[in-house]
Amino acid sequence: MKARNLIKTIPMKLYVLLAAVILFAFFSNDFGLVDIQKTAVILAAGVDRSEEGFTLTAQIAVPKGSDRSQGGTSSVEIDAEGKTISDCVSLIFSKTGWVPKLVFCDLIVIGENAAKEDVISYLNYFLRSEYMPDSCKLAVCEGTAKELLSSTSAIDDASSLAIDKLFSDAAEKSGNVMTNTLKDFAIGYYGASKSGYLPYIRMTDQDGSQDPAGGTGGTGGTGAQQSEKIYSAEETAIFSEGRMVGLLPREQTLAFSLLKGNVEAGTLNVPDRDETVTLSVLKNEGGIDLEMKGAPIAKLDLSVMVRLCCRGTTAPMQDISSDGVPDAILERAKTVLDGYVRDLWQICKESGCDLFDLRRALYRSSLKKYAEWKDYLLASVTPEIKTEVKSMK
Amino acid sequence: MNKISQRQLFFLLGCVAPVGKLVILPARLAANAGGDLWIPALFHVLVQSAVIFCVLLLAKRGKSFYELLADTFGQIIAKILSVLFALFLLYAALLPLLEQQIFVRGVFYDTLPSLAAFSPFFLFSAYLCAKPLASFGRVWDILGPMAIVSFAGILVFSATNADYLAVLPVGSAGLKGIAGSTALSFSWFFDSALLIPLLGKIEYKRGAAWKGTLCYLAGGFAVLLFLVTFFGIFEGTAGNQLFAFTKTSKYYSAITALGRIDYVFIFALALVMAFYSALPLQGSIDCVLQAFGKKRYLPTLLSIGVNLLFFGFTVFFDFRFNLAMEFISQKLFWIFPVFTVLLPPLCLLLRRKRHESA
Repeated sequence: MKARNLIKTIPMKLYVLLAAVILFAFFSNDFGLVDIQKTAVILAAGVDRSEEGFTLTAQIAVPKGSDRSQGGTSSVEIDAEGKTISDCVSLIFSKTGWVPKLVFCDLIVIGENAAKEDVISYLNYFLRSEYMPDSCKLAVCEGTAKELLSSTSAIDDASSLAIDKLFSDAAEKSGNVMTNTLKDFAIGYYGASKSGYLPYIRMTDQDGSQDPAGGTGGTGGTGAQQSEKIYSAEETAIFSEGRMVGLLPREQTLAFSLLKGNVEAGTLNVPDRDETVTLSVLKNEGGIDLEMKGAPIAKLDLSVMVRLCCRGTTAPMQDISSDGVPDAILERAKTVLDGYVRDLWQICKESGCDLFDLRRALYRSSLKKYAEWKDYLLASVTPEIKTEVKSMK
Repeated sequence: MNKISQRQLFFLLGCVAPVGKLVILPARLAANAGGDLWIPALFHVLVQSAVIFCVLLLAKRGKSFYELLADTFGQIIAKILSVLFALFLLYAALLPLLEQQIFVRGVFYDTLPSLAAFSPFFLFSAYLCAKPLASFGRVWDILGPMAIVSFAGILVFSATNADYLAVLPVGSAGLKGIAGSTALSFSWFFDSALLIPLLGKIEYKRGAAWKGTLCYLAGGFAVLLFLVTFFGIFEGTAGNQLFAFTKTSKYYSAITALGRIDYVFIFALALVMAFYSALPLQGSIDCVLQAFGKKRYLPTLLSIGVNLLFFGFTVFFDFRFNLAMEFISQKLFWIFPVFTVLLPPLCLLLRRKRHESA
């Protein structure tokens, strides 16, 4: 009886043994992980146009060591020139022996020249990579991306980390910067509007003097002494069909943020007789609507709730703490915002950028009207701007 | 003999079956039908629900598929038809298994792993296939709630980032786009065929047919909701997003701060999917066993044979997934409606003959 039971259980025992052997083989390959010592953790990538095709600059994180006083992340910039972005990545691998890993890449910077061509032609590489987060931030910079990424930041270990701070939620809520991600930019490009926007980064010396060449041109790893840089992204590059077609100044960037309803802690300067007063924006609602009854009308509505933040001159104590902002200042603030939005509209119209996704709104509402109007919509539509500035009570 | 209870059957129809439609199907539909991706899926859900209703009415007779065939056509033809149906189930199993393979290799590894990475699945599958199909009701009892919680978790994380108006305007893909997408998605909706080997094993109670259909409809509408959410997140780039259910939730603000906590749900759904992918293989073996009887080592031998064959397929199609998908879902798509839409209702016409008691 015992022997028969033993024979009966032999197939199951063999099965368990086989399973154990295969699982042992399965777990012995470290799940395909690449040795960290042989890996290039790319923090940011920069793309420029070159004679051959593209220059890809990869900012690679290099640990500073175990000394706590020197902790943090330093970086090294490696660039490669190739016919495609993939070609450049392969060249970086062959130059360094490090396997380039884009999984931690949180920033792609596009050089000014590269932005003037269809950016999706090379961003597609990042967009299609399963190992690249499409939530990474995208930006255009003055000069070349290589110069920007290779510059020495005055405020952080690596230039990309300093730039990343410009794109924080707090910065976006201030209305001073309009951030965008790879995914959302691609959605705009492939959508009916075929338009998009990206923050535009400028680099200045720490002392505030403007660098005439858009940077010192120092490259990573050369060992040359570089002046420390600070960065700003208060302007916004606008795109149509993947090409940069215009630049929104600071004021229009704020107007665009307000129309999107993004601003919760921004400030607005308003002239008041011979001085300037600053209002802080506490609450903001914005909306863009397309009306196609008769001639097309774009309704741009924004409403802000403000309070008096400070004046440029000495004022009595109760001036700022008193209830409400004077009506005259509110009226001037409304005029200022009206002007910002009108200028914003004009820039978009002249550049052919459907920043307000009017074509998308039309496409979603009626295929027939979209087919009829899609080529003329931006030129034909009349803006109806409605701004409301309320005081906190 | 073990019977599958109503509750277990409902879990299979409402919770386990929808999981197989969340990997590559959303991207395929988005690439072909754009914002109209939900229309082909709605068509399939409604058609499959009607067919499932018919199959569950058949289950009321308490006979297996082979017995139903044998009562009408005699044993030889019944054997041939059972083997033919088993072959169809093997054919239907190929795409989900290849899908599962590229999913595991693409999502759970940060570089392309070796071929061996997916091979343990066949150990698991061989074990399942060697067991009686009816004994898996208890597994569905566990997988059902697991799928509900995981799916709800992923949907909650995803919904806040979706622009649901992106599916407008309805009909933008045109009749041709919608019809083409409907044809190519037949290969993902073969759930009615999965019920055929379960005939005679279901503990049929009054109202099970319409209750089961409602469960399938509920699961189907959950898939539709996911499809719309998926398109609302990725819009024009959705056609590029393979492994849909692993991607929609990653933009949730808490995930940006905490890391990919949604992987808990993704792993749970992957587990449910592993059982779902093995189900056509189990069904196929069961059809053969119904026809030829459960001889001593036959289940084991069939299980080893079938799993070795499919291991071979996964090796062969390793870098030919698109070729296999095109072949199954485009060139030979018509095989699916024959076996999953036409055949099951026709079975209702099979002769009713009382079992002769021994």
